[in-house]
Amino acid sequence: MLRTAAISAVVALTAVGCSGGDNSDNGSGSSTADFKTQVDTPAAKGPIDHVKWSLYAEPQSLDPAYAFDYPPSTVVSNVCESLFRVNPDLKITPALAKSSANPDPLTWVYTLREGVKFHDGTTMTADDVVASLEHQRDPAVGGSYSTVFKNVDTIKATAPLEVTIKLKRPDVLLNEELAATPGSIESKAFLEKAGKDYGNPAVGVNCTGPFSLKEWKAGTSITLKKNDAYWDSTLMPKANEIEFVFIQDPAARANALLTGDVDGGYLLPTTAYDKLKTGDGHLYFGDITGSYSAAVTSLKGALGDVRVRRALSMAIDRQGIVQAGVNGYGTVSKAGAPPAAWATTPADQAKAKYDALPPLVQDVEGAKNLIKEAGAGGKKIVIATSPLAPELTVSCNAIADAAKAIGLQVELKTIAPDAYTALFTDPSQRDGIDLLVTSGYDLTPDPLEFYQTFQTGEFANYGSWSNPEYDAIAQQALGTNDPGTRAELTYKLQEITLREMPGIPLWDSPLSLYLGKRVTGVTPNITQMTYPWAALLGSAS
Amino acid sequence: MTAAAPPLVQGGTPESPRMRRGAPARIRALAANGPLFTVAVVVLVLLVLTAIFAPLLAPYDPEQINLKNSLAGSSPNHWLGTDQSGRDTFSRLLYGARTGLLGPLLVVGVSTLLGIVMGVVAAWRGGWVDSLLSRSMDMLFAFPAMLLAMLCVAVYGAGLTAPVIAMMVAYTPYVGRFVRSVARQEQSRPYIEAYKVQGWSAWSICTKHLIPNIVPTVFAQAAISFGYALIELAGLSYLGFGVQEPTADWGVMVNAGQSPLVKDVMLPAFAPATAIVIAVVAFGIVGEGLADRVAKRER
Repeated sequence: MLRTAAISAVVALTAVGCSGGDNSDNGSGSSTADFKTQVDTPAAKGPIDHVKWSLYAEPQSLDPAYAFDYPPSTVVSNVCESLFRVNPDLKITPALAKSSANPDPLTWVYTLREGVKFHDGTTMTADDVVASLEHQRDPAVGGSYSTVFKNVDTIKATAPLEVTIKLKRPDVLLNEELAATPGSIESKAFLEKAGKDYGNPAVGVNCTGPFSLKEWKAGTSITLKKNDAYWDSTLMPKANEIEFVFIQDPAARANALLTGDVDGGYLLPTTAYDKLKTGDGHLYFGDITGSYSAAVTSLKGALGDVRVRRALSMAIDRQGIVQAGVNGYGTVSKAGAPPAAWATTPADQAKAKYDALPPLVQDVEGAKNLIKEAGAGGKKIVIATSPLAPELTVSCNAIADAAKAIGLQVELKTIAPDAYTALFTDPSQRDGIDLLVTSGYDLTPDPLEFYQTFQTGEFANYGSWSNPEYDAIAQQALGTNDPGTRAELTYKLQEITLREMPGIPLWDSPLSLYLGKRVTGVTPNITQMTYPWAALLGSAS
Repeated sequence: MTAAAPPLVQGGTPESPRMRRGAPARIRALAANGPLFTVAVVVLVLLVLTAIFAPLLAPYDPEQINLKNSLAGSSPNHWLGTDQSGRDTFSRLLYGARTGLLGPLLVVGVSTLLGIVMGVVAAWRGGWVDSLLSRSMDMLFAFPAMLLAMLCVAVYGAGLTAPVIAMMVAYTPYVGRFVRSVARQEQSRPYIEAYKVQGWSAWSICTKHLIPNIVPTVFAQAAISFGYALIELAGLSYLGFGVQEPTADWGVMVNAGQSPLVKDVMLPAFAPATAIVIAVVAFGIVGEGLADRVAKRER
């Protein structure tokens, strides 16, 4: 599942800007940001007692079932673990499950690690795993990942340390998703006792991760403490305590990092990048397994004609959006999923394949001809926009400008920031909207996670686009265990989406991380959402 | 931002009958309020002219983006630079005067009209009518204007309409209570009794004498309220509840200009914020000045 809901958070935080105050008329147009992404930061040199970490918002819950957005995921990834682990290099390795077996396409058997203790000292069993996965998929819980389990028939404890999942139809993605938040394991007894209060500030959670919840002062901070009984000696925390503080204002956050009031933080406002580069610490960038795109949310209007979708894609000034919207800290997309999303294939192969794709260059005249051919001149499209984040405003303005330039009529429909997420979760909220800008990231290293969302009837297929050829290939891929063969099938899906444009690729932005001079060791890439990144956080000296 | 009650002006009611004077005399009289008052009046006149003639004055289409010219600084081509989408800040500022003045005009106009009706009826009729209207107004007081506006936006959607209607509802009891108090004072004057003795109807006395005599006081109050309504509507737009992108509006502009502040790019936020401050201060000075004049006349 592409976590589109989280997009709004990315959007909210990668606020942008550029140099002003000069006498030229150039603005940021000519600026090119100098950045490169990396997997790791220098390893910690020793332990550290207390680290203060900034979040741009307070999590609403620490229940992994609701950890779909950046702030909760950044915390929960250190407290609760999954059956497997997506490492910073995007490779999946065993975690709470020692191994898995797939005796037939509809059966997955997981053998659990022995002697793993929850934070309350009780021992993890297969019953805890079943209860956790049932909690995630229970529609009554209303968790963010219930659709991940859409092909699941039953989840049963088949031995004290063995869990068997039976599927209704083949779904290799599910197995990969269990390496991320959907596979988070919690104590069954604690889950049942806490009921609806599970994960809230008063009750908290009971998991197995390298840190346990020490204190949640609602509205102020969440403090995690080192789990001395942690099972994985390679990830024994170097920090005794991590205190997460909530700083919403981008300027205040940047200043807190620069003054050393807080030691680090992810997802910094792009407007602050240049300032942060001058600080005592370091600004790092990591890959995100998703891109920004314009999702076609209705095929009933002008965008129902593929020529109009292609024309609009041709008319957009993507480079302009990158420069004005994210201050140059991004690259123009060539497809719906970036090279980083293809981590099930060798990195050089993924990059070569991506590089070989034709660039999405701006060609307004060609686009006008397509519109003429389609007889769509003067037809109206409605684009949703929101003051949620500057890059959202800029990109929507740019798309509207492109649409006008090729002869379409445009209405920008502004959605209040707090209602923007509902566009992705409640189809009725998209009524009357033809296009909206979205972004996100895959939970797994598999690009099929993104491309399978365009299947007929899929929840995140916002425009109800349907293509039988596409559906057949996607189903074939979901039943293919070999990653190489699956990737080849996924490339076919990518080819169809680039031809049919159910979504219009826009740009890729990196994830940012600032580490003050006291600390180092954590990954700057998207795996921090599920990997226990803070276990590696330690003293820089 | 919390909703604040527009402060009530100090002053009484003019003598009856109304003084009727020519325009030059009025201007001279206004100028007598001091240079600050004169400057404030000039500022307001300029604001109104800007709002009316924005399409003629603005060098650029306020919604025309230019991504290659994002966040440009001040230059001969763009006096106040550009915003993140490369739109000309000066042009947006000029156009922003339109929503900036239209919203408060509707709020103050309608709430003043309704407030006068409610206040005068309550004062004139007294008894249970007064009690009913006064308690109704008290109930409306319980809802801060901003809260009411947010509620309205939640129900009817963002834009100028919902917040303006909510603010009308929120402002009316303030005006009503003020008018009631002023009208009761006016009602106690001998000339009202004289008209009653002569057999004038209540309608005639109120519409021809009482209301015209309290209008200057109410008008002074309205000028101050105008500034408050302006800042509250701008605040709502800033918070995303009022006027929406891409429309040029001062509150929207401050919101959009907030992100570049991190980079010390001040103009996109500073220019509209300054416009709001100037307009609110000017309305405040004019309102206070008018109130002073009324009070002097009273003495």
